[in-house]
Amino acid sequence: MDFHLTIEQRDIQKAASEFAKGEFDPDAALDYDLRQQFPLTVWKNACELGFVGVHFPEEHGGQELGLLENVLIVEAFCRQDSGIGMALALSGFGSEMIVRNGNEDQKKRILPFIAHGEGIVTSAFLEEGYSLAPLATAAKISKGGCIVNGMKSFVTLGSMADYIIVVCQTRPDTPNAQVVILLERKIDGIEVSSMGEKVGMRMIPVDQVAFTNVRVPAENIIGQAGTGYFQLQNFLNEMRIKAGAMGIGIAQGGLDKALEYSRKREQFGKPIASFGAVRNKLADMYIDVEMARLITYKAAWSFDTGAPDDRVILMSKMIASKAAYRNAYEAVQIYGGYGYMTEGQIEHFYRDAKVLDLFLEPGQIQRNILADHITGKARDR
Amino acid sequence: MHKNLYRKEHLLFRETFKTFLTKEILPFYDQWEKEEIIPKEAWKKMGRNGYLCPWVEKEYGGAGLGLEFSFIITEEMAYAGVYGLMAGLHSDIVAPYIHSFGNKEQKKKWLPGCVSGDIILAVAMTEPDAGSDLSAIRTTAKRDGENYIINGEKIYISNGILSNLVVVACKTEIENHSPHKDISLICVEDGSPGFSRGRNLEKTGWHSQDTGELIFRDCQAPVSNLLGEEGKGFYYMMEKLQQERLVSAIMSQASAEAAFNMTLDYYKQRKGLHQPEIPIDANGIAEMATDIEIGRTFLNSLIYDHINGEDIIKKVSMAKWWTSDMANRVISQCMELYRDYGYLEDYKVGRFFRDVRAHPIYAGTNEIMKRIIGRKLGI
Repeated sequence: MDFHLTIEQRDIQKAASEFAKGEFDPDAALDYDLRQQFPLTVWKNACELGFVGVHFPEEHGGQELGLLENVLIVEAFCRQDSGIGMALALSGFGSEMIVRNGNEDQKKRILPFIAHGEGIVTSAFLEEGYSLAPLATAAKISKGGCIVNGMKSFVTLGSMADYIIVVCQTRPDTPNAQVVILLERKIDGIEVSSMGEKVGMRMIPVDQVAFTNVRVPAENIIGQAGTGYFQLQNFLNEMRIKAGAMGIGIAQGGLDKALEYSRKREQFGKPIASFGAVRNKLADMYIDVEMARLITYKAAWSFDTGAPDDRVILMSKMIASKAAYRNAYEAVQIYGGYGYMTEGQIEHFYRDAKVLDLFLEPGQIQRNILADHITGKARDR
Repeated sequence: MHKNLYRKEHLLFRETFKTFLTKEILPFYDQWEKEEIIPKEAWKKMGRNGYLCPWVEKEYGGAGLGLEFSFIITEEMAYAGVYGLMAGLHSDIVAPYIHSFGNKEQKKKWLPGCVSGDIILAVAMTEPDAGSDLSAIRTTAKRDGENYIINGEKIYISNGILSNLVVVACKTEIENHSPHKDISLICVEDGSPGFSRGRNLEKTGWHSQDTGELIFRDCQAPVSNLLGEEGKGFYYMMEKLQQERLVSAIMSQASAEAAFNMTLDYYKQRKGLHQPEIPIDANGIAEMATDIEIGRTFLNSLIYDHINGEDIIKKVSMAKWWTSDMANRVISQCMELYRDYGYLEDYKVGRFFRDVRAHPIYAGTNEIMKRIIGRKLGI
């Protein structure tokens, strides 16, 4: 067993952290959040320097690195700023399905497009009723391709995306019979509408996407038709780890800020870091970050070995999202009144952190899945 | 005992106020949240209908009701998620300074306006370097003939932009005594020479609440605006903080109850529609309901004791930290029962989430509450 990162991994970590420190302007971050704008310039720069799509194959604009390296980058970005970090991390949301299951043509078409910052790709799988099997959005498969009808909810970056990767039901009577389809957003029959303002993660629009008789050529079907459900499950597993990385970043960012502030801020003639109430919090925050990091790195490592450990992956998202929430909460508390004010530059970490408890599935659902695993109700894959 | 806290007339009053709130305040509230300010007209509407300082005696324009009527207003406003129009601050936190420590002329001059809503009140304690440590305030007031000349800056002042009258904690004697004996409370009126407002600060929640900076540059306030005696301000504040913390606990408890009830309704409705995909969390819901019940029982006993003039400093410090932590815990969990919808502003649980994050901070941070409890326990 070796808990050390490789030299290459540490270099990536350092480069990502330096990029974030240099490019994420704190005032601009508040402004993006307030105006609900995607950080376009920062994203372009990040793509230019190769921080987006590091896990893509080299011939398709990536560096052929693992999920762990991706985790290190997402962590460093979210540590510097929760909002910008998440926006960058989600700029190619769903591309993993192409990396894992796409054919050469699809990879050639989409992956460099994402890695070079030419446009945004997202995926659409959630629906109003939350059922993932069966889905209500239907793809009717014919010889030349398929026709899609239905509606997807909570599509991140839906209104900004150039491509949407949509998971659809092929046979309503077989819950797992699904297909993954690559769609250009601007074609006929696709309508995007905003789901409104959000508590946090405000740099990323969240939209509803409606499909009316959308014609899809056969070359846009990703992987085998009928394997969609398993593609989605694998993608969600990968995303849980990525959410874990966002969680570590936000938790560590909250701790960084709380430490800096509490050593500087004096009350009763002493820095507040010298008071028991604050010291307890700082120690707990430090513990939370370390726990979240250990399990998320382990989850990413297991994914990279090709034998992902579902239980560790579930726990990673649960632990890291809780750590993010708690640390952001306590960082706000340590800042006091200033912490509640936007200009304190910590409160958006708190609003942003909460999304991790909701994203993909809330902790209670993950607990249920984990309980299925450990009580033997579900078979390990 | 506190089981009999509310009688028939209280229930009637509550219902009448709820009707008023539903008709006169709630339809406009989303708009005010966007505009980040409450129109002064809304304050006056509250006043004209008898919902500001209802406890003030008739000779000063009030209704002469018990304090619990005022608490009912605060509670109902918190149930409705109306934090911006902070009647509780005005009626039960600031007005009592004038009522308890003001002389007859001062009361005659200001209290009728406080009741009618023509005067909106604020109290200014916090400064950039004096948050939890109140004795560290630097704003000074020096006597010059018939005036005090006030210099300094106050920050995070609720009603900071709208207020017509601000009770300002100043140092009147600089370091002659212990820091606690230098502080005096002076009323500064809108338009006083040298008094200006800074920014209306952006914050996590309470968007329609004006949280402002107050600036005093050779500000002149007549000596007759001093509340009580010079040098006693620190003790006055300590005395009044008991009620401030009770008001804060009432708001936290009511927020938790409101968000929980809303979530429970939503949960039942969604569960019927999409049973397998909603987190089956009867355990968590039962725990939340238990937390809320414990909080309510404790709080009502404190309201009862406080109204009957008992010293509840230790217990109200406990209630302030516990109910505000509980409210944040419960509401955060409520959001998860909404799944992604909880994150959308349209679903309101998210607004509760943003709003209640203020509660563990204001009216003395929860860490200060625990310090007070510790002292009361002799440690």
